[in-house]
Amino acid sequence: MFGIRSDLPLKRDTAGRFVLWLVMVLVFMASLAVTVNSYIGVLLNDWNRSVTGTLTVQVPVMDLGEKGAAPTVGKILDVLKRHPAVAKAEAVPRAKVIALLKPWLGESDVIADLPLPALIDVELRTDEPEAVAAVTASIKTAAPQAVVDDHRVWLNRVMGLAQGFSVVAMTIMILVTGALGLTVVFATRASLAEFVQVIEVLHVVGAKDGYIAGQFARRALLQGMLGGAAGLALYAPALALVAWLASRVDPEILPNAALPAAHWLTLAALPFAAGLLAMLTAHITVRRALSAKV
Amino acid sequence: MALLRKKDEGFTGDTVGLEGVGLRYDTGPEILTDVSLAIPQRSFHFLTGPSGAGKTSLLSLMYLAKRPTRGGLTLFGEDVTRAARGRLATLRRRLGVVFQDFRLLDHMSAFDNVALPLRIAGVGETVVQRNVSELLNWVGLEEFKNAHPATLSGGQKQRVAIARAVVNRPKLILADEPTGNVDDTIAMRLMQLFVELHKLGASVIIATHNEPLVARFPFPRLHLDKGAVSILPPLTAQPSDQTAVEM
Repeated sequence: MFGIRSDLPLKRDTAGRFVLWLVMVLVFMASLAVTVNSYIGVLLNDWNRSVTGTLTVQVPVMDLGEKGAAPTVGKILDVLKRHPAVAKAEAVPRAKVIALLKPWLGESDVIADLPLPALIDVELRTDEPEAVAAVTASIKTAAPQAVVDDHRVWLNRVMGLAQGFSVVAMTIMILVTGALGLTVVFATRASLAEFVQVIEVLHVVGAKDGYIAGQFARRALLQGMLGGAAGLALYAPALALVAWLASRVDPEILPNAALPAAHWLTLAALPFAAGLLAMLTAHITVRRALSAKV
Repeated sequence: MALLRKKDEGFTGDTVGLEGVGLRYDTGPEILTDVSLAIPQRSFHFLTGPSGAGKTSLLSLMYLAKRPTRGGLTLFGEDVTRAARGRLATLRRRLGVVFQDFRLLDHMSAFDNVALPLRIAGVGETVVQRNVSELLNWVGLEEFKNAHPATLSGGQKQRVAIARAVVNRPKLILADEPTGNVDDTIAMRLMQLFVELHKLGASVIIATHNEPLVARFPFPRLHLDKGAVSILPPLTAQPSDQTAVEM
């Protein structure tokens, strides 16, 4: 396809080289946006999966009598184990609760002496809201003072933030697409002006508008794909750097998520998408410009 | 010469017909005021007249670079005043134009310049190679086939331009001062070329200032003056065979 003869004097084509550079930068930006989007998708999935269909029951300290939490916890566990929607229910050992608090309160014997709430981890067979509500209701009946947390409030806020990032990434993609289109339009118009005599000759010897537009479109396709490939080449070291920085962050905060195959396919498609977009834009621009003649 | 013979494309009537044609650029004065003219098939005309009389404009109407501001224009029996752009391109493939300033594409070799109309028409590369080589031989430029126009002399460029104009075996050949840049010997050789093409069935119109040259051929003259055209008899009545220079 690219060995094909061109009737345009491409060696003189300064506007074309400009397109090549700009496509490189735009595809680089697009690839970063795609990566942000994919990574957020992976994180959300990860969080969602670990949280969906689970409940945490908390029995506050101040509401417990002389005998401590044990009777209330036992009552709740009894109810839960008989409930059809519950897959698993177990009290969180005191030692683990202390471990959970350590990052916040530090290594200290004080924690051991603190009155701590009792926690029960519950896994449901389903994450349907009706089941969650039914289980919550039966816990409340058994122990009105218990607090049931289905993690939704926390997750929804995190998801809101993540979706904000996704919207930004999408906006970047839209802007990049628009910038690429406009670049090709203006570069093509510049080339049309530069090659006006060549185009006149092509017309006189019988070329149709579609043929001339095809010449520009083929060149734009090539520039889009080459520029896109260069953009990806620029992206590779940038991703490696970010991945290395991310690997130094505690995996509890940033899950060490592998990007899915769809992400790499999207990236690989970027140069082709850029080429295709440039090709169509150039074709339409030339045809519109030529149809205004004679 | 076999390459220039081809089946008749089957139009009836005149090759070019102008009916009350006027032409102006933007809001300027009319360059052509009321031109009515018929160029029959297989005819040969000189187009004469003072500079600025509109010779180039008249030719550009015929090769469809402009449309008349008023009046009717037919080419190969087709009304082109309102034809679609795509149709005009198809009609242009049946005519050949030689420009005063050649208009060769500088980034292409002589061979590629001559091959351009064939390649644009989608002719296969084997036919292109054979026909273009044969034609370059015919105009005596075979050893310059790979040369770029910038390295050629005026006369050589002129011959490349003519080869490009005729490679499609046109039914109408329009030439604007095709002998303007060459000495008399080459001018006569080029004229002989046009006469050959005319004998093979093309209509030929040659715009020129060169009266001695016109006087050597027994062809009628379209004389343009003040935007109007009149048909004058040949400057000479001698048969062309006596004046023709051997190729």
